[in-house]
Amino acid sequence: MSLLEIKNLTTSFSTEQGSVQAVRGISLAVDQGEIVGIVGESGSGKSQSMYSVMGLLSENGRVEEGSILFDGKEISPKYFDGNEKAYEKYMESIRGNTLSMIFQDPMSFLNPVLTIEKQLVEPLKNHRKIPAAELHQRAVELLTQVGIPSPEERLKQYPHQLSGGMRQRVIIAIALACTPKMIIADEPTTALDVTIQAKIIELIKELKEKTGSGVILITHDLGVVASACSRIYIMYGGKIVETGLADEIFYSPQHPYTQGLLACVNNPESDNELQPIPGSPPDLISPPAGCPFVDRCSQAMKICKQYMPREKRLSETHGVSCWLTEKGGI
Amino acid sequence: MEQPILRVEGLKTHFPVGGGLFAKKQVVKAVNEVSFQVMQNETFGLVGESGCGKSTLGRTLVKIYEPTAGKIEFMGRDVGSLSGQELQEFRRNMQMIFQDPYASLNPRMTVGEIIREPMDIHNIGSPKEREEKVSSLLETVGLKPDHVRRYPHEFSGGQRQRISIARTLALDPKFIVCDEPISALDVSIQAQIINLLERIQQERGISYLFIAHDLGAVKHISQRIGAMYLGSLVEVGESSELYHRPLHPYTQALLSSIPIPDPERMRSRPGLQLDGDIPSPLDIPSGCPFRTRCPHATQRCAEEKPQLRQVGSSQVACHLYE
Repeated sequence: MSLLEIKNLTTSFSTEQGSVQAVRGISLAVDQGEIVGIVGESGSGKSQSMYSVMGLLSENGRVEEGSILFDGKEISPKYFDGNEKAYEKYMESIRGNTLSMIFQDPMSFLNPVLTIEKQLVEPLKNHRKIPAAELHQRAVELLTQVGIPSPEERLKQYPHQLSGGMRQRVIIAIALACTPKMIIADEPTTALDVTIQAKIIELIKELKEKTGSGVILITHDLGVVASACSRIYIMYGGKIVETGLADEIFYSPQHPYTQGLLACVNNPESDNELQPIPGSPPDLISPPAGCPFVDRCSQAMKICKQYMPREKRLSETHGVSCWLTEKGGI
Repeated sequence: MEQPILRVEGLKTHFPVGGGLFAKKQVVKAVNEVSFQVMQNETFGLVGESGCGKSTLGRTLVKIYEPTAGKIEFMGRDVGSLSGQELQEFRRNMQMIFQDPYASLNPRMTVGEIIREPMDIHNIGSPKEREEKVSSLLETVGLKPDHVRRYPHEFSGGQRQRISIARTLALDPKFIVCDEPISALDVSIQAQIINLLERIQQERGISYLFIAHDLGAVKHISQRIGAMYLGSLVEVGESSELYHRPLHPYTQALLSSIPIPDPERMRSRPGLQLDGDIPSPLDIPSGCPFRTRCPHATQRCAEEKPQLRQVGSSQVACHLYE
């Protein structure tokens, strides 16, 4: 059984303009010891699907449907029989404990008026009941683990005294404090320079090897995915349009969106022409009935407008939702 | 492409900070002795980590900041000595596209007003000609004529960036400073904007200074590229030369950290990585600014600041190449 198994997850947000259907029935699974990438543009629902898992949706957000099985237990709010308190209580007991999250912007996630040490030991105090005498030692170990030099001094400092790369390392250390089974990293390197980014990615890979945690990496950067992930889900318009091993996605992409994405990404090692995808992503207040990509797809057919294609399995690991593969029978 | 449209010599932009009752007065040396040229109809790319001074350099060129020292020569004239009518003309020919299309468009003005405003300010053409120009510009950047009466919030990030491009084109500039024009946009939209900028350049013969930290995009659009570190240009070269044979240890490290969208390549690539963080621009190391992170640093690097010198077809500021 997978560590995290999501089935038919649907999340929407009520706004003045209407209900935004951010996540529209996605299913995915992540095992221990693997790094899985969720790739998509802004508004594709990649972050909101994971916020739904973490129970961190904003006030107006709601999980409408679907099951979220984490570590053998159902953690979708639907399964708490509308008992919000029980849900919150349970989520609080696992968040930062067995299930943790790394956020994009290290500055807004760290509390500016608390020292690094205070923030680092908080999950240990809350979840692990570690004696106060040992807390300091654990904090030093954690900072050392994420490669921060002179940890003793850093612990006494405040977030503003650290550089962006250091702050992101601190956030990773906090996420790792309780040796979680699963880490969800939401664009962990987007705010950082490439030089720092490369190191943070290496660090995440190393830590995965060491702890055997499952990792979900949410990103829009195909380069980051190529360097870190063994499996990939491609999201578009609130749906997963293609999934497969990294090699399957990069070397034999089947969905026109995946193909388009790969053709318009800058590869500094090649001199190929950039082929942009025309148009812009769909409006999720009134999403198209059929394939979300239909308006930008050069190979769109009549059926694409009306019906959403089902996922077709091309191999045990490679799946795609597109009428072209359905018809062509690849 | 033979005539330099922009010549920058020994440019310095320093900002004083602190200097309160108890605080010591300090100086941020954001741009520190930078010299380069941009040819007519050329795109000159500028890359570097955040805090290296590339945006400050761009803003100094368009006179948002006054340089502390050095000379900027634009279309054969010293920019520092311009005033009145000549300064107006300079501003008409030198325009800028900003990074964040959500912050650079006035939310209370319609798209038509936004694009027309530069012509109103510079008093170009009759009202009717301005209207016509606005609709032809909208078409140039790939928007519809009926977008004229809409407001910025009705548009997506990519469309907003098209609006700001149309606004800069309103004055038919000769030179545009593009300060990270695509980094706030999605991948599929980035390529649209890059292709648009390239098409405009071909049609109108404009020169660009293209600032970005996305090295892939810079390589794609630029003919020549300069790598900046802590306020200094450490290497300048033809774009494919710089990417295939980087000379300066910093350029090498920077390029080796770009993730390539190719899993097999990433598995086989040796990891050459930079240690440590970029030092504070308040306290730039003596000699070569990169020496604190450079694997080849010697005693000499601490004592003497290397100057840009010609090595092959590139220019590099490093003692290794003497």
